Amino acid sequence: MLAYIARRVAIAVMILFGSTFITYNLEAYAGDPLLGLAESTAPNKEKLIAQLTAQLQLDVPPPARYFLWLKGVLGGFIGHFDLGVTRQSRSVLDEIASAVPTTVRLLTTSTVLAIVLGITLGVISAIRQYSRLDYTMTFTVFLLFSLPIFWVAVLLKQFLAISFNDYLQDPKINYLAMLVIAAIVGVVLAGFVSGSRKRVLITWASGFAVTSGILIYIDQTRWALNPSLGIFVIGVCGVGLAYGLTYVFAGMHNRRALYAGLTSAALAVIMYYPFRALVPASAGFPQLLAVCLVMLAVAYFVGFFFTKIDKGPVIRVSILVAFLTSMLTVVDRLMQTWHSYMTDPAVDGRPVQTVGPMNTLLQTTDFWMITLDSLVHVALPTIALTLVGFSGYVRYARGSLLEVLNMDYIRTARAKGLAEREVILRHALRNAMIPLTTLVAFDIAGILGGAIITESVFGWHGMGSLFNVAIQTQDLKLLMGTFAITSFLAVMATLAADIIYSALDPRIRIGKK
Amino acid sequence: MKNSLVKGAALLAASVLGFAGLSLTPANAATKTSVTVYESSALSSLNPSTPATNLVTNTDVVYPTGMGFAYYDNGGNLVRNTKFGTYKITKNVTGDFEVTYTIKKGLKWSDGTLITGQDLLLSHILASSDYSLKAGLGDTNVAPKFDSGSYGGPYDSHTTATSVDLSDDNYSVTVKYDSFQPDWAILGPGPSPVHALVALAKGKKALQTVRTNASYKNVFEDAFYAAIDDCGTGADLDQDCQDAKDAAQALLKKIGTKWSTAFNITTVNSSTNPLLLISNGGYKISNCVDNVSCTLTRNALYNDGPAITGNVDTIVYKYGFSEAAAATALNNGEVDVYDGQPTSAIYAQLKGYSGVTTVTTTTMTYEHLDLRVGTSNTWPDQYTNSCPSTYTGPFAGNSQRAKDLRTAFLLTVPRQAIANLEIAQLFDPSSTAQSAVLNSSFLLPANKAYAGLVKSSGISNFIDTTDAQRTANTAKALALVKKYYPSAAAGSNSVDVTMLFRNNARRIGENALIATEAAKAGFNVSRTGNAAWSTQLNCNNYDAHVFAWAPSSVSQTGTNANFQSDGSNNHYGWNDATVDAATHALEGSLTAAQLSATYLAAEKAIYANAWSVPLYQWAGVAAYNSDLKNVKPSPLVPNIVWNYWQWSY
Repeated sequence: MLAYIARRVAIAVMILFGSTFITYNLEAYAGDPLLGLAESTAPNKEKLIAQLTAQLQLDVPPPARYFLWLKGVLGGFIGHFDLGVTRQSRSVLDEIASAVPTTVRLLTTSTVLAIVLGITLGVISAIRQYSRLDYTMTFTVFLLFSLPIFWVAVLLKQFLAISFNDYLQDPKINYLAMLVIAAIVGVVLAGFVSGSRKRVLITWASGFAVTSGILIYIDQTRWALNPSLGIFVIGVCGVGLAYGLTYVFAGMHNRRALYAGLTSAALAVIMYYPFRALVPASAGFPQLLAVCLVMLAVAYFVGFFFTKIDKGPVIRVSILVAFLTSMLTVVDRLMQTWHSYMTDPAVDGRPVQTVGPMNTLLQTTDFWMITLDSLVHVALPTIALTLVGFSGYVRYARGSLLEVLNMDYIRTARAKGLAEREVILRHALRNAMIPLTTLVAFDIAGILGGAIITESVFGWHGMGSLFNVAIQTQDLKLLMGTFAITSFLAVMATLAADIIYSALDPRIRIGKK
Repeated sequence: MKNSLVKGAALLAASVLGFAGLSLTPANAATKTSVTVYESSALSSLNPSTPATNLVTNTDVVYPTGMGFAYYDNGGNLVRNTKFGTYKITKNVTGDFEVTYTIKKGLKWSDGTLITGQDLLLSHILASSDYSLKAGLGDTNVAPKFDSGSYGGPYDSHTTATSVDLSDDNYSVTVKYDSFQPDWAILGPGPSPVHALVALAKGKKALQTVRTNASYKNVFEDAFYAAIDDCGTGADLDQDCQDAKDAAQALLKKIGTKWSTAFNITTVNSSTNPLLLISNGGYKISNCVDNVSCTLTRNALYNDGPAITGNVDTIVYKYGFSEAAAATALNNGEVDVYDGQPTSAIYAQLKGYSGVTTVTTTTMTYEHLDLRVGTSNTWPDQYTNSCPSTYTGPFAGNSQRAKDLRTAFLLTVPRQAIANLEIAQLFDPSSTAQSAVLNSSFLLPANKAYAGLVKSSGISNFIDTTDAQRTANTAKALALVKKYYPSAAAGSNSVDVTMLFRNNARRIGENALIATEAAKAGFNVSRTGNAAWSTQLNCNNYDAHVFAWAPSSVSQTGTNANFQSDGSNNHYGWNDATVDAATHALEGSLTAAQLSATYLAAEKAIYANAWSVPLYQWAGVAAYNSDLKNVKPSPLVPNIVWNYWQWSY
């Protein structure tokens, strides 16, 4: 094992050396850092060219200049790690350090969402193979898969930002739009059920009716200007979650799981008012986190309290119900901040912005206001990235699970009379997830590589945008700094994926020929 | 299904139970008082005067925080700012040319310190290589302590280390040149808060009292002169003088390091050293978020420039996103002012927005076509070692044959079609409108002398506004080629012409038009070059070249370097006594009539020699919130921001 890792690391070093050398020379030969000055008619042009030549060491041929750069990088071994300075005299390391948090903020949520949603939908799709749902899902996924991100971004900006802001100026919903939305929601819901035509129609009709009801309510009360859920709705949702999650993770026959879930929901609802006092506007994220952790710990003990044997599913239901219901409370709290956020002069009635990670004109120390601002800004790029990113997971998860479901040991499990839930959750799903490790490892390593197009379209200055700026401005050291870090992570991710793979699947022995 | 039914029922119940009837009206938008300006690249420094940080965004962001003796308006005219002070020529004899700058009394920096003549001294340090050397601040070719981008210009070559005098009352500074400077008005000093630089050098982290600041100003003044004192050598050494000199130099070195590096910040908040943010313009920097935006608020003590007549309290610069994203942001009300060089798609997008005013603009950058005559005067440079050492193409030399072939080639250049392609059709690809062709190599149309120059310079031979003119020009060209290649005809490929080519959309379109038209006169146009185009400028392997000059100021001598036989922008071996005489005359004092005559002489020679033809000025687009009044796009940096004091909702 150790020998294997050592060999892989040695290969990784060679790959890194080769790729950085090639990239350096490609960019050095392709780019022209003196371009801006070539067109200048400044009287001291010669001096400026001489200064720039000295600053960028342009008198050294690129292959040799690469080693000057490498010297700084290898200096890391003696404590003088040096990626150089950008053309604008800023430290490359500082630039990267400032871009990484932005990128992580932008990409973490969307990557996690893409993984969770993608796998969930993929699994559902596989279980209902060749059903109406499966076909709908396959169609949707291929559609999303083929969408270019910049176009998705433009659509989102148009409809979720500009049109939504316009709507908020006078929150009236067009009745035709209302009918269309309700019909679409009905179709989506109907897609999820299987069975007789009657059942499908009933589902469609109820989805249509409920959605129109909600929309009429939103329209009549101008809910969008001052939204809230209220303790009652949260309570109803909590009960719904308790039933739904019990159904998925434990089965309705497991009354203990149901009771644990309901208790968690009740606890979360009871916390509704204390929560406001515990996390006031002057609070910070640590307080919110602490309250949530306490809530989860309590839920764990609730689950623990309700079980005697087979604790897993019960505790899972209890914790998930507590978590999701508490999230609704948080959402409700944010909704109640919406009105004051929207009427703030900095926001000026148009809350959804199309560029930037924050509204820099907003002057407030209100924790909820800042959180809301941050969420409003991260929403569009997150939706765009998730839409485009999750399709792959749906396809992989579906294919992988189907393959496992056809295996002999699954037939055995079914033959010995296990419930379908047990077969899928306990026997099939776990093995089906193994091939996805590679994908997940790559995507997580890819987070730090940034999203070049998305960042540029939405005005987020992360690693992708740094890379883009470096190319546009012929900033070789900046380019190499970002490239070195992303390629390092990519190489490490492959290694990690291989190691995790063997840990998850004992059939695979790494290092053996 | 069950769940959704339950939820729906609950929602309906809730609405019945009492939330219904709650009615809210949309937020009434108060009058806006902030203007958000889009910048395509991010802020990298609050000091745009070093070579590395001299970028449009940096200049734009700090422009509203500074005022000086003059500024450029949107017509490219230099406007005197009499609220700040006055400047005039005080001596003009052979070998001695002096300009005196006087600051109005009672003006204050944003920290309350008086603005005095001492604040003008730094400009000399930043532009004089002689001073830098004498004061021990380093050779300006290799990392001087003040890493300024102003060394090497006419100021540097015509002043000495001791060329600046401060008056006894501290409010006037006199700059002494060794000869008359036609562009003297733009060479002069600008104010810098030297008290803050001294405080920074002393490691201070907070604003100092007005009294301390006054003493720091004197410290700076003393150091400025002491650092270049002649204290004698050997037995004549004045030790006290030398000690003072050493101390002064040490202080200036510290100040230099601070000036060069301390302002390279992109985050400004309450913990930022306020000494870095001192302003004498209408606004001061109050908050910047790294790579996101920079916010400027009113400077309460501002009274040294045009009065702020609008109700704009805050100017925000937003950056770090694409031009297309900026257009959408303009539509969403996040951006109020946009100035750029967009594509037809973005232009159409901008045009379609209601509440947004979109105008096309003409920039100072102009496209021109040059022909090689011989080896560049700056050859060989480090990039040309793989180039042939002599130029042997069809245009080489000053023989009648070479001149005729050059003239023939220039005659084939479809200047009108190129202008149409890059201006009218840039905004609307189906446009058939005629765009403005640039007809002078020295002047832009805004200049009063332009029309007269065009009439008699000989450029009229190369005008092809109508199809008939176009056909006639090509026929003339073919006739000239036939003199030396009797078999020449359309498509005969008799003369091979290689164009240095930069692979971008603009040049691809232009080169295609040029090649097509030239082929009709028997030229075979091929291309060379790669992305590293600028490193090949002096290479003898090409015959013709289309590119742009991007002037950053309006000056009488600014074009000389392009055509002088020893000019740094003369990459083509052009050498003509008439042109050299004319450009040297431009460096002296000329009346308006003499000036026109000089330009005319130079241009006549250029077109007679068939060196170069101007093509067109680059087009730009500005778009802004229609509620914002007095937005006036301007061709020179700081472009659209130049009259921020007039902006108003």
